[in-house]
Amino acid sequence: MEAVVVEDLVKVYRGGIRAVDGVSFSIAEQEVFGFLGPNGAGKSTTIKCVIGLLRPTSGRIRVFGVDVEKDPGIAKRTIGYAAQETAVDDQLTGWENLYLQGRFYRLSREEIRRRGEEVLRLFGLWERRNDLAQTYSGGMLKRLDIACALLHRPRLLFLDEPTLGLDVQTRKAIWDYIRKLREEQKMTIFLTTHYMEEADELCDRVAIIDRGRILALDRPGALKAALGGDLITLKFASADDRVPSLLSAIRALPGVRDLRSSPDGVHWIRVEQRGDRLIPELVQLALAHGVPVDSVRLKRPTLDDVYLHYTGREIREAASSREEHVRARILQRRVRR
Amino acid sequence: MILRDALYVARRELLKFFRARTRLVVAVIQPLLWLGLMGNMMQGLAQNPFVERLLGTGSYLAFMTPGVLLMTVLFGGVFAGMSIVWDRRIGYLEKLLAAPISRAAIPLGKMLAAAVQGGFQGLLILLIATGLGVRFATGLPGALFALLVAMVFSFTLSGFSLALAVRFTSQETLMAVVNFFTMPLVFTSNALFPREAMPRWLAAVAQVNPVTHAVTPIRQVLLSGWDWLGMGPSLLVIGGLALLMLVVAGRSFGRATVE
Ligand SMILES: Nc1ncnc2c1ncn2[C@@H]1O[C@H](COP(=O)(O)OP(=O)(O)O)[C@@H](O)[C@H]1O
Ligand SMILES: [Mg+2]
Repeated sequence: MEAVVVEDLVKVYRGGIRAVDGVSFSIAEQEVFGFLGPNGAGKSTTIKCVIGLLRPTSGRIRVFGVDVEKDPGIAKRTIGYAAQETAVDDQLTGWENLYLQGRFYRLSREEIRRRGEEVLRLFGLWERRNDLAQTYSGGMLKRLDIACALLHRPRLLFLDEPTLGLDVQTRKAIWDYIRKLREEQKMTIFLTTHYMEEADELCDRVAIIDRGRILALDRPGALKAALGGDLITLKFASADDRVPSLLSAIRALPGVRDLRSSPDGVHWIRVEQRGDRLIPELVQLALAHGVPVDSVRLKRPTLDDVYLHYTGREIREAASSREEHVRARILQRRVRR
Repeated sequence: MILRDALYVARRELLKFFRARTRLVVAVIQPLLWLGLMGNMMQGLAQNPFVERLLGTGSYLAFMTPGVLLMTVLFGGVFAGMSIVWDRRIGYLEKLLAAPISRAAIPLGKMLAAAVQGGFQGLLILLIATGLGVRFATGLPGALFALLVAMVFSFTLSGFSLALAVRFTSQETLMAVVNFFTMPLVFTSNALFPREAMPRWLAAVAQVNPVTHAVTPIRQVLLSGWDWLGMGPSLLVIGGLALLMLVVAGRSFGRATVE
């Protein structure tokens, strides 16, 4: 069964803003699915519609086969949600936040005690559990929020910008947790991000969304491959008469799409994907033909290139960093009060 | 199930309430000021036999204790709405709405918490009043009855402010709207001033003012004694309003989205 099926979702806010404009996608069980797009693209709005926080203007949403609008209760119990804005009550301790969350999801005291310790240890918050959340750093708050969303072991986890505004180290740590969840708990994960590396690192499939529409949807590798794939630049140590037969052998390798050579002996090989895996093969093949290799270089198209290709512009990094700045200030203000 | 959910919503509010030391200190000092200062200031007036008859007692302090009790509960109760605006701000409301709890459990829990807070503040006031020499004609049962009425009233008012608050996104706006109601509610009631001494129009307003209906039974058991027949109508009004506000607040949350 598909974990999530969304058909023609449209959401027009009261002010008339068309935040989601006919979006369709489905997420397979145990898949990590990502929405990649700039601020204001409609990522959060889509998530909120799927988990029943917002009423869609039109469209159909099913979560594990259940229509969310008709039967929100069932869907809610199978879903975990960590919002873009960390929703931690900073006048409570970390443990109290977690405990109440567990109770809202109808867990027993014993279950909360056991799983609570497990998730807090996983997220490195166990030692600080009895401190007020207002003494936590931004990264700790985010981790606590995700920990809360995990407590009831949802089959389907929604992470809205899980690493927004975090430093590189914390971001990497959260990526590790997400991978772990997917491997150990077999969780289906829907995450949104406007960080290219994040989508690339974590997601099985990525939808590029802009202005409420999905512009492309595929595995990150395939999206990049669609742009022409990896480019390997190869130079041999000498111009040898064994080179032509070597080149035709390379051309015959699986995954190789195109091979061009310059008169001065530089060869460009276009590969569908994973050009890094092809390099050892190339070198071996060259040695087998008795042609010494001088240098190999790999250039892979990034999701940035993909994004640029589909939207015709760079992801609006300037705007996003300003928003992060504002968010950091809000967080500081909350802490001071 | 809804009650169980509501209890955890209430638990959260109460954890925070009893943790906020400054607020607790203010909660003690404020009634102390009211009772000590106002009670003393007005005492000379109550010596007048005519006034004494109007008040039903020779002690203005005893007369105003039920009024101060209700006023404190009133101002405390309307604060419940603030918490929802705050929850919306920090995203906690969204979290609650995403959880599989009954939506009505959110206002119900906050209303229960407000009732407990009101009871606690009421207890402080009665202790202070006792320290200043006020005695219930009906003794301890009368005092407990007074606290119960105060708690129900706090429950009702928090429901009112919560129903308003789901519509607002700024605490300032909510505060302005709520004050628009609370101040006139106090001053058009018999909380601080006997209805018998009011001009006729004001007495008519006071007659339909819920604050009056909360104050009257408490004043009855404090100054004179049990009179169930006399208190009955007021108690019905107070109880009925509590139920009404529960339904109104519950419904307003049933429709709430995060839009
Ligand atoms: N509550 C709201 N009311 C009106 N417009 C909104 C609301 N929330 C978001 N929007 C608008 O909808 C669009 C999509 O927002 P959002 O889904 O938050 O984007 P993203 O999460 O991709 O940054 C934006 O133009 C935003 O301004
Ligand atoms: Mg967003």
